[in-house]
Amino acid sequence: MEFVVILISAILVNNFVLSRFLGICPFLGVSKQVETALGMGMAVTFVMTLSSIITYIIHHLVLVNLKIEYLQTIAFILVIAALVQFVEMFVKKASPSLYQALGVYLPLITTNCAVLGLAILNIQEEYTLLKTITHAVGASLGFTLAIVLFAGIRERLALADVPESLRGFPIALITAGLMAIAFLGFTGLV
Amino acid sequence: MSLLKTFKNGIINENPVFVQLLGMCPTLAVTTTATDGMGMGLATTSVLIGSNLVISLLRKVIPDKIRIPAFVVIIASFVTLIDMFMHAYAISLYNSLGLFIPLIVVNCLILGRAESFASKNKPVQSIFDGLGMGLGFTLALTILGIVREVLGVGSVFGIQLFGAAFKPAIVMILPPGAFLALGVLIGTLNWFKNKKAKNA
Amino acid sequence: MREVIKLGSILLLITAIAASVLAFSNSMTEGVIKDVEAAASNEARKEVLPQADNFNSIEEDKLSDIQQQNNKILEVYEGFAGEELVGYTIKTATPGYGGNVEVITGISVEGKITGIKVVKHQETPGLGANATGTDFQAQYIGKPVEKEVVVVKTAPTEDNEIQALTGATISSKAVTNGVNIARELFNSMLSK
Repeated sequence: MEFVVILISAILVNNFVLSRFLGICPFLGVSKQVETALGMGMAVTFVMTLSSIITYIIHHLVLVNLKIEYLQTIAFILVIAALVQFVEMFVKKASPSLYQALGVYLPLITTNCAVLGLAILNIQEEYTLLKTITHAVGASLGFTLAIVLFAGIRERLALADVPESLRGFPIALITAGLMAIAFLGFTGLV
Repeated sequence: MSLLKTFKNGIINENPVFVQLLGMCPTLAVTTTATDGMGMGLATTSVLIGSNLVISLLRKVIPDKIRIPAFVVIIASFVTLIDMFMHAYAISLYNSLGLFIPLIVVNCLILGRAESFASKNKPVQSIFDGLGMGLGFTLALTILGIVREVLGVGSVFGIQLFGAAFKPAIVMILPPGAFLALGVLIGTLNWFKNKKAKNA
Repeated sequence: MREVIKLGSILLLITAIAASVLAFSNSMTEGVIKDVEAAASNEARKEVLPQADNFNSIEEDKLSDIQQQNNKILEVYEGFAGEELVGYTIKTATPGYGGNVEVITGISVEGKITGIKVVKHQETPGLGANATGTDFQAQYIGKPVEKEVVVVKTAPTEDNEIQALTGATISSKAVTNGVNIARELFNSMLSK
């Protein structure tokens, strides 16, 4: 039951993008087409889940034991950067077709604050390893859901007659705001 | 480029938020009040000045191939320093900014300035670039914070503006308000710019 | 290969310097942070139990017994005025609208609620978050521990009623649930 609550909460109620404001850069940057948005979502899901597990292990086995929790930020960002690099090399060798699909998005993920934010949140909430994984899956599904929906709206918006001053970024933000209002309806769900 | 120009460039011409659209996560997340927005801006400015200075000093020592991880380590160290000092000396601000203090590390503005300015320029200029960009960021966050606080709570920096009859629009301090306020603000700026361009 | 080692050692050196700078500043700020945090929680306890001037956590065995019966109880402190026991502060976490709401409740040995304080919450700003306001929290002062505190939407008519925050009944109930848990704990274990 607890796991279901974590999952639903991460996907809908505390949606990473629309309510926690994590991962805004890719959300606004890579959301012009549904297809690329889906690719980004998949790449993020992959990296977020893996990095959550690894940062969890590093925090509990290394940082806590050596009493150097204050190095958390440095350790986590290095782990994420290294992981992204490693995943990129691995995917390139193991599955060229997957690399084709995800390749361009992978380097962008290092500076996606959703990944680091998730790692830090897992530690703050004192989740166990299983809860960490559940939270990671929920958070990345939430991210993917938000970015795909947003891309769907933007594809249609591209054809709309938008006032000149609002074209591009401002109308994208306003659209995101309206989506966030819709997602507000989920608060109180869990 | 003269120092003053470098400085002004960051605040106005290339304002990180309104013009370059960088550092969106903290911009949207911690601007529920003017105080929080300003606090976040100043914390980011301190990190930016520090990292710009150190990266500029080390620009000839750090090999090109490992510059990104090296920059990230330097930035993360400054962020951790700020984190510790805010926790010790500004606990209430520390609590309200919360998660977004360690996340200064992944603010693209800081890595962006390291890569495009500090690694190519002398230390003094890099400090001014950091100061200008940082204050430009602070200015944008404070404006957004003021707009949201006035509309959503009816106060500025915690001081009540209106009588009890004023019904604040709570949505402005909820997540959607952040998107809407920033969208409308940038739209307004564009409108002024377009008008100016047409008149010229 | 040699280049890899060279690059690796430069990066290691930078990281090592960074880590030692941080270790140094950590040792400088660690004590201050502890003091600030301790002062903040003591301040909160004093606010809800103004008669007391110093606080001691109850024994660990006793606390874990209590927590086994009710895991919503986080902390129980005894408050003393000088040497004399004057009351208790009980910290609880109860689910609200946006997550757990942590409340400290102060109860005097005579069995009156001396004050409450919402110390941590994720309630909606402008609605549920108003539970941290002094007006709302002051309503609980002086309530007797014998009767369950209940939330009503209109002006209270009974002495055990609390008026809910406008538009935030769930948050008001979460706070009240916390207070009631504290009250029951006092009645069942502490008052003896």
